[in-house]
Amino acid sequence: MHELFIEMECSQFTKTGQAACGDDVRFLTVDKEKRYIAALSDGLGSGVKAHVLSTMTTTMALRFLQSNLPTLESVEIIMDSLPVCEVRKISYATFTLFDFALGGRARILEMGNPGYIHLRGTEEIGPVSERKVQSEHWPDRGVRECDADLRAGDRIIFCSDGVTQAGLGERRDMKLGWRRSGVLKFAQEKIAADPEISALDLSRQIASTSVGITKGVCRDDVSCVVIYLRKPRVMRILSGPPFRRENDAEYARQANLGEDHVVICGGTTVNIIERELGAAVKISLADMREAGALPPIGRVAGVGIATEGILTLGRVLSALEEGRPINGEPAAARAILARMMRHDRIEFVVGTKVNECHQDPNLPQELELRRSVVRRIASLLERNYRKTVKIDYY
Amino acid sequence: MEKIKVEICCGTACYLLGATRLMGIEQNLSKEMKDRVEFEVKPCLGLCNDERLGGSPYVRINGSEVLANATPDMVISRVNELLGREEV
Repeated sequence: MHELFIEMECSQFTKTGQAACGDDVRFLTVDKEKRYIAALSDGLGSGVKAHVLSTMTTTMALRFLQSNLPTLESVEIIMDSLPVCEVRKISYATFTLFDFALGGRARILEMGNPGYIHLRGTEEIGPVSERKVQSEHWPDRGVRECDADLRAGDRIIFCSDGVTQAGLGERRDMKLGWRRSGVLKFAQEKIAADPEISALDLSRQIASTSVGITKGVCRDDVSCVVIYLRKPRVMRILSGPPFRRENDAEYARQANLGEDHVVICGGTTVNIIERELGAAVKISLADMREAGALPPIGRVAGVGIATEGILTLGRVLSALEEGRPINGEPAAARAILARMMRHDRIEFVVGTKVNECHQDPNLPQELELRRSVVRRIASLLERNYRKTVKIDYY
Repeated sequence: MEKIKVEICCGTACYLLGATRLMGIEQNLSKEMKDRVEFEVKPCLGLCNDERLGGSPYVRINGSEVLANATPDMVISRVNELLGREEV
């Protein structure tokens, strides 16, 4: 089980006309317990008020789950702490909580949200056991607690009712909305067509299809979480010449991971790869004209893509830091970022030889040392993008 | 007749010091020149470490001749010279 990567992703749309999303989704990984926790909450109503309710709910839920507080106690604390809505005189936020430690069973707690979906390939799997938890303080709100047996390749899908109720009362063919059964069928079709579809892609497709049902107008906040247990997708970024030239050959061999999974980052680095692996890079003047605000991107046949080094990595770092959308980035940074997002484990192979010409005082001071830029990218990928990262130095 | 090979370095230093000015160079050539010159962008020619050569950006012609501080005019006039010499 330890070879598994747990991809947890969410796609959201805010109710049309509202400034804030009334659903909130949070993920937490507890590395030392190899434990993965996800929380989705839909706050009563919509807009800022709903956003506050759902955010309070997910924040408390993550804390309580992590500290193994009993279910009933956690739920009561959450319900007791939510502010009461002036209009409806109740405090309310629905939730779905997912808690899974590698090697064990997953626990799923649901209150008021559409039931979760567990898929093994395209087959729907029911819970191993399930029980109702009822609070005396809140007799009308039961919590469904399920244990699920998760295996490699399984997916868990859960969403807010904005997804399942899309089309409700609006479309003749969907009098009761898209419903859980519609989401299930859609997910099964997508998985049948692409058995390795990522959690991100599947959640995006479910969320955007539900919005498409009402012709792009969101009648409610829409959130769809997909959790996918799979073998990690590994990519490797080679950057910088090794400190000792005699290590060039071994360094270059690290690029042997398949063309879709390798980035060679740096002019001298590309030269080493060409020389050691007998590969050739091709870059045309047209590539250069389309490159945007960075040096162009090339393709090393049979090895991977090639980009300039430190400027490009610097741009990748700032895009990750600011969470900028990938599409607006220059070609080289865009290509690296897109590959990073498609992979789960990112391995940097960093040569530590300092390029003396980068110390030229005529060049901008932003030309930082490669090692420090890579370290900062690595920590952002781990912290904000839930990737696992490894750095080897040569 | 063999084409004249022009390699433009696009390593970090060359890029920062003006290699981008060379990317439109093809458009400034006459049609007959275009047919006789082959342009290629290189990730790094590795010349900037050699102080004797001058400065970035570098262009290499026919695999051996190096132009330092290269500008489009400089490259075009050198290519013209080489083409003229071949025709004599």
